[in-house]
Amino acid sequence: MKKALEKFKSLKLVRIMGFNRVVLIGVIILLCLLFQVLSAVLNHGNVFLTYARFSSAMNYGYFIGFLALGVTFVIATGGIDFSIGPVMFCAALVSGYCFNNYGFPMWVALIMCPLIGALFGSVGGFFVAYLHLPSFITSLALMQIAKGVGSIFTKTQNVSWPGSDDPGGWYRSLSNLTVGSVNIPTGLIILIVLAIILSIVLNKTRAGRYMICLGANREAVRLSGVDTRRWEMLAYVICGALAGFAAIFYVGCYTTVQPVKGDTFNNEAIAACVMGGTSMAGGLASILGTVIGAFIIAIMQEGILSMGFNIAFQYSLTALILLGAVIADVTSRRRKN
Amino acid sequence: MGEVILTMKGIDKTFPGVHALDHVDFEVRKGEVHALMGENGAGKSTLMKVLTGIYTKDSGTITYEGREVEFHNPREAQAAGIVIVHQELNMMGHLTVAQNIFIGREPRRGLFIKDAEMNAEARKLFAQLNIDIDPRETMSNLTVAKQQMCEIAKAISHEAKVIIFDEPTAALTDTEIEQLFVIIRDLRAKGYGIVYISHRMDEIKKITDRVSVMRDGQYIGTLITEECTKEDIINMMVGRVIYEEPKTHSMVEEGAPVVLKVEHLNAGRMVQDVSFELRKGEILGFAGLVGAGRTETARALFGADPKQGGDIYIDGKKVDIRSPKDAVEAGISYLSEDRKRFGIVLKKNIIENSTLATLHEYVKGPFIDKPKEAKATQKYVDLLKTKTPGIDQLVMNLSGGNQQKVVIAKWLVNDSRIMIFDEPTRGIDVGAKQEIYELMNQLAKSGKAIIMISSEMTEILRMSDRIVVMCEGRKTGELDIAEATQEKIMTLATRDIDMQNSKAMEEGA
Amino acid sequence: MENTIDRKKAARSAFIRSSAFQRLIIIAVLILLYGYFYAASTSFRKYTTLVQICSNMYYTLLMAIGVTFPLITGGNDLSMGTGLICYSLIGSYLMRIYGWPLWAAIVITIAMGVTMGFINGFGVAKLDVPPFIMTLASMMFCRGIGSILTGGFSGTWPDGAEPGAGFRNAFRLIVKTESGRMPIPLGMVWMILLVIIMTLVLNKTRVGRYTIAIGSNKEALKLSGVNVLKWHIFAYMICGFMTGLAAVTYAATFSNITPGQGAGFELNAIGAAIIGGTAMTGGSGSVIGTFLGVLLISLLQVGLPFVGLNADWQLLITGCILLGAVTIDKMRNSR
Repeated sequence: MKKALEKFKSLKLVRIMGFNRVVLIGVIILLCLLFQVLSAVLNHGNVFLTYARFSSAMNYGYFIGFLALGVTFVIATGGIDFSIGPVMFCAALVSGYCFNNYGFPMWVALIMCPLIGALFGSVGGFFVAYLHLPSFITSLALMQIAKGVGSIFTKTQNVSWPGSDDPGGWYRSLSNLTVGSVNIPTGLIILIVLAIILSIVLNKTRAGRYMICLGANREAVRLSGVDTRRWEMLAYVICGALAGFAAIFYVGCYTTVQPVKGDTFNNEAIAACVMGGTSMAGGLASILGTVIGAFIIAIMQEGILSMGFNIAFQYSLTALILLGAVIADVTSRRRKN
Repeated sequence: MGEVILTMKGIDKTFPGVHALDHVDFEVRKGEVHALMGENGAGKSTLMKVLTGIYTKDSGTITYEGREVEFHNPREAQAAGIVIVHQELNMMGHLTVAQNIFIGREPRRGLFIKDAEMNAEARKLFAQLNIDIDPRETMSNLTVAKQQMCEIAKAISHEAKVIIFDEPTAALTDTEIEQLFVIIRDLRAKGYGIVYISHRMDEIKKITDRVSVMRDGQYIGTLITEECTKEDIINMMVGRVIYEEPKTHSMVEEGAPVVLKVEHLNAGRMVQDVSFELRKGEILGFAGLVGAGRTETARALFGADPKQGGDIYIDGKKVDIRSPKDAVEAGISYLSEDRKRFGIVLKKNIIENSTLATLHEYVKGPFIDKPKEAKATQKYVDLLKTKTPGIDQLVMNLSGGNQQKVVIAKWLVNDSRIMIFDEPTRGIDVGAKQEIYELMNQLAKSGKAIIMISSEMTEILRMSDRIVVMCEGRKTGELDIAEATQEKIMTLATRDIDMQNSKAMEEGA
Repeated sequence: MENTIDRKKAARSAFIRSSAFQRLIIIAVLILLYGYFYAASTSFRKYTTLVQICSNMYYTLLMAIGVTFPLITGGNDLSMGTGLICYSLIGSYLMRIYGWPLWAAIVITIAMGVTMGFINGFGVAKLDVPPFIMTLASMMFCRGIGSILTGGFSGTWPDGAEPGAGFRNAFRLIVKTESGRMPIPLGMVWMILLVIIMTLVLNKTRVGRYTIAIGSNKEALKLSGVNVLKWHIFAYMICGFMTGLAAVTYAATFSNITPGQGAGFELNAIGAAIIGGTAMTGGSGSVIGTFLGVLLISLLQVGLPFVGLNADWQLLITGCILLGAVTIDKMRNSR
């Protein structure tokens, strides 16, 4: 048994992906089977493994994925960002409002999303990196500010982005493209491409190296003559920009955005990160793990609906998963010391 | 010396991968000061932690006041009368002195704590010890020495019979040490059993009655202090006679150019008006007691801490150093005394640590040039003879000496011309120490200018070409190696600042 | 001579950094702000506005005093807001669906708060989970669990002519006078009493003393032989208890409970505590400061609409205040 495990661990694919990530993929498969059975038992023979559920889970996975990818950078530096969900909504609200009411062209509205996110990210990054405020409280304050700004801008109204057939509706094909009768999951493709780019940024560039190292030991990096503040701030800007980017895919799937919402997505994105093997203590991050984590969250959400449960279950379950992942992280670190 | 109050026999303790205590014996008598000596990591602190119940022993017996005991936590040890005055002071800075002394056993009426009674009790304790401290003062407002006296008062209030001092003088000035010794002698006369852990040989000779020596987790032996010499103790500690010949003359070439000139550097209380010069190929020793402001001087020079004033010239040109980044660009490097906190990134591998300061030179376009990086790292691993299974090894898996070499490699990769070594051999075993010394000599020979901060007199005398001595944030003297002696350095390092001031005033007049 | 000047200077700068000075500033800001609202809006000048400010602050104050304890230990509690709604929702559910008497519902509401406090404390103190993550998980958990257990039921507590509606009088007593019905903010009396009691708890009892000690130097406290685990959890349980109390107060003040609400309440409470001089780094804080902080936030909440700024502006402004308070805290303690 042990030998088989060792042998499995030494497989090339497993080595490249990392053992934990392979386990996570196993978890996804198990979850699917579990939901298949439980849906049938609990919800009058409902079937979980359907195309509709699958594409719905995918849609959910896209924007959670982008949020989680962003916050991975912040967590790698040893910080946390609770503002990503509301920032995503703020970006969607403001740019959508501009499109609807001020006649901005669609491409401008789309570009505005990551820019608004990056703006929030740079404010948060400035306070954390340059004024050394605790990241969690800074981001909580930013969360309120993002909610307030989005809501003030839209005069406390919902914002509906155009439907597929309306003028400017082409943006939706960024998430799902239908050619004839074939659905192309463009969102997934973009997510994967972006994940690869971010993985390169994290592992193969100076910025990524510094972010991870300063997460592990800020003072040592600073005393090596690196301007840690700049790189730490950059992590928050990336995080914010990606939150804005996530907005494009949120409205691409759901079109309507409500003001003063979005904070539940923070926790799902953070849970995805930590589950994927990014350590809350900083200095350790996995882009691939984050993507897989995001899809686990998405599948759970669908599974809960499929079993006929209230969406409130998702909140509580995410909480437990987050807690479990963090406790596992903390205890494994404690054992090492 | 009275009867035996505490006996530890055959104490054994293993941590994963380390045999921390190997059947250690130790005893304390009433009315004696018993020194416990040994190099870093010899197991002194572990032994005391086993005694006070912080660690549980694997085997062995502890006999206290004639009964075999085993404490499960410090509270039980305290209750029985065994108390540690810790190396890192154990107080809660936000609470008052009295609140600290009586923490965990506050006198209460119903639910409420009787603070007035606590203050009165504390006052009585201080009177007993002839110390003048207001029990209502907030702890963090006191000097380290006074905080320590509070710790002693706390120990006595626990009706301690055995008091363990763990490096009590590390952060004290000379006069404060004298005050402490008065208290310790007084306690001895009152019949307390005192364990005194220290590295400072002079103190051992001055205050203790017996010396027990540990080495690598083993008990080596016990000597009567009066009957032994420093060399005897050192030999027991290191297991061999060390012949460390001091340098006799400066190795710096005649007329070597001044690389670094620091004038009137000021940074907080710990760095006041410090000026010195450093020449090419020179090792400039910074001597002084712990807390003399040497590390602070180095950090201010390096831009790690803000400075209030002072000019820095490199090769005669004035430079403005506001951050470590500026310093590194100016060719200065700093090897911290606390490697794990300030020197290396433990969770990362040797490559990542080696190129941390120079990553911008290892990029191809937007990407890190990993083969180039690996090649450079390998070069310095070979050059410095770093012992590691591979360059992708995480630094936390290396020994202290090899970690230090990684830090050195980081700065060699950067090709710094001015290197500041802050306690370069702290926590490093004897063999690796030798290597570090040789390396520093080679570096100096190759034209680097080196500042070496060290609290070990032998290290200072052996390595330096010139010595700057500091005391309480001021430079108190400068000696050429040819004229330097331990006594001269010590005199400068403990010089009375007031005297110096009055002298300066006379000169001014 | 130079010495005395130095000492005076040092004393002055120490005072500026002290929490007493910060409290004076808040009082000044309170007066200015009140004056501004008073001048800007005639309708603000009414007596009922004052009553509204009071009603508005009760539950925030309870949470803020509660969270002062975890904050002093160097932690925090994000679960208070959604927890508050969750407990009062379940309380009303038990009353409405299972016919529990009012007193039992109140007891169970508070008990749930205490339990959540214990769980948070256990996670932080025993399992070493970072406080913000631990309480974030609790926050999410509460958010879901209230709706799950009650099946999306919108809760109401006794109001109007219902039996038991009298418990609302404890906070807002309606007195009939010649000029009509006049509400008296009786809750304020309890709040002031509570501020006194909790000040005593913080400064004169063991739990308060050890709460400060944990925030100041946890290791030292452990080495002094104090059962740190127990007292650390206790600090979170106080916070949980106060949240439970806040849930009851909230129910008494507003009587309608909507599931899924409450996120963000805790930020007002935490912000108030930090404005009041509780250090984010732990070790110091005061109940009276927290009280003043809550007063400020409540004044803003009630006053802003009078000058034409709606609830959205409140979010923005409280966010900015929180950020500002933390920045000031950082600067005050960074030397």
